[in-house]
Amino acid sequence: MTLALRVNNLAKSYGNLKAIDDVSFDVERGEIFALLGPNGAGKTTCIEVLEGFLRRDSGAVEVLGVDPGERRHLRWLRERVGVVLQELAVESFFTVRQVLERNAGFYPNPRPIDEVIELVGLSEKGDAKVKRLSGGQQRRLDIGLGIVGNPELLFLDEPTTGLDPAARRTTWDLIRLLSSEGTTVLMSSHYMDEVEALAQRVAVLSHGQIAALGPTASLGGRNDGEVTIRFMLPANVAAKDLPITTSGVEGDIVEVKTREEVLTLHALTGWAIANNFVLEGLTVARETLEDIYLSLTRQDREETSTRTT
Amino acid sequence: MTSTQDNIVTRKNWLHDVRLVIHQTKFEQLFFWLNRVGAIFTVGFSVVFLVLLGASAGNQRVASLGGIRLVQYYVPGFIAYGVMAAGFTTLAITIVVRRETGLLKRLRLSPLPAWVLIASIFISTTIVALVQTFLLLVIGRFGYHVNFPTSWSAMFIAILLGIMSFSAMGVAISSVVPNQEAAGPVTSIVFFVLLFLAGLWFPLPPGSGLAKFSNYLPVRHLMIAMDRSFEIPKGVSPWAWHDLLVIGLWGVGATLVSLRRFRWSPRRT
Repeated sequence: MTLALRVNNLAKSYGNLKAIDDVSFDVERGEIFALLGPNGAGKTTCIEVLEGFLRRDSGAVEVLGVDPGERRHLRWLRERVGVVLQELAVESFFTVRQVLERNAGFYPNPRPIDEVIELVGLSEKGDAKVKRLSGGQQRRLDIGLGIVGNPELLFLDEPTTGLDPAARRTTWDLIRLLSSEGTTVLMSSHYMDEVEALAQRVAVLSHGQIAALGPTASLGGRNDGEVTIRFMLPANVAAKDLPITTSGVEGDIVEVKTREEVLTLHALTGWAIANNFVLEGLTVARETLEDIYLSLTRQDREETSTRTT
Repeated sequence: MTSTQDNIVTRKNWLHDVRLVIHQTKFEQLFFWLNRVGAIFTVGFSVVFLVLLGASAGNQRVASLGGIRLVQYYVPGFIAYGVMAAGFTTLAITIVVRRETGLLKRLRLSPLPAWVLIASIFISTTIVALVQTFLLLVIGRFGYHVNFPTSWSAMFIAILLGIMSFSAMGVAISSVVPNQEAAGPVTSIVFFVLLFLAGLWFPLPPGSGLAKFSNYLPVRHLMIAMDRSFEIPKGVSPWAWHDLLVIGLWGVGATLVSLRRFRWSPRRT
């Protein structure tokens, strides 16, 4: 069996509010899969159904081959699944080591405590009380609690929210390391750079539905989509004198959108060299995940507002 | 063959669960004693009250209880207080704080079975009550010449049943407390009013309206059950079956409420 997670037509409502509606995706073993979406898009609800914490209304779900909605599987499942919740939850008057020892005792095959402390970068804080840790350090301890049971599958609900940039990088490295050891990771995030840096595949959630699903690098066709070339117009040159078709000129800045960036650049730079022009501020930019994400969720927002009016 | 293997697996799981209860109990104990507020509120309070009341009014005689000294009345009273403080107030506050900070949810998502958690909390609460009972008995005996219980088994049964029932009531009230800030005030007010009505500070005159009213509440019955194990008033049987039954009924009622109302996670906003 190569699938760690299988989700088919999953739906869950709170009263009249459809938190998730007809969501389907698979996650392969060893993969890092991200749920990306704004607050309220249904990421946490989705994860909590997969954790077996929330009951689903309909649809089929398999986690490591079993249904988390069935009580008899839960203990087996929880010995193999690590969870890092969105909210910090650590006893404040225990030491780092005590908290980890306590949770390690729940699992049949825990990771050694010192290794966990080392992995989450708290080597110097092992005997410090939790309440003496900074917010970022508490968050890392939280992640430590998620991995102390040596999980095959790890749920990370917004793992780096509230961390400073350095701590974020450390956490990313940790997630990559776990993945390289074979741990499957399902993470949620509203940071594009995080998803781009970590996830092999991503599902964009918007209003409880999947707006896009695919490999992070090619989401929304952005690997073969348009490229935007920008540069400053050389002195005494008009836009109409350029050897290429421009998409717009704003002041001195020329913008060219093209799907044939190699040819366009060749023509442009060849012309510049021949005429001894300097193309100041030349940039070539592919659509970022953020652009795709914003356009996907904007579309959905507009659809929703037309539906309701 | 298969059935033998099944047996081995079952026995292993069983042993594993027992070890898990011991493991979790150890950390519940650590949690209780490190969190000094709980320790002061239960063990500290009862010891300090006994010492202060014993030193001030301890030698007054109570006519309604057969002329025993007041301090003799306070020892079983504060043992009962400790059982209720540990089972009801401390547990209720602990549960609300753990729920609202997400600790319960995290435990729920760990492989620790709910029954192991409940058993560990019960054992841990019992340890606290026994430590405190020991201190009160020793201080009473050697500080104020108070008698030990006439029936040790009646006292221990009253303590165990008290912890079970009052813990259930603690869980039940925790489910109606909305947030951490309210946990301390709400449970303490309820608790101290109940204690007053039950006559912890001053013995209630038998047959008075207050005594009749508090007959419907569990607190007074636990105090009576505890008194009886010390043969207060003189000549009674140490087994207060009627009172134990009332405590048990409150426990059953509270358990039913808890089963319906208990939440593992903070209320969604």
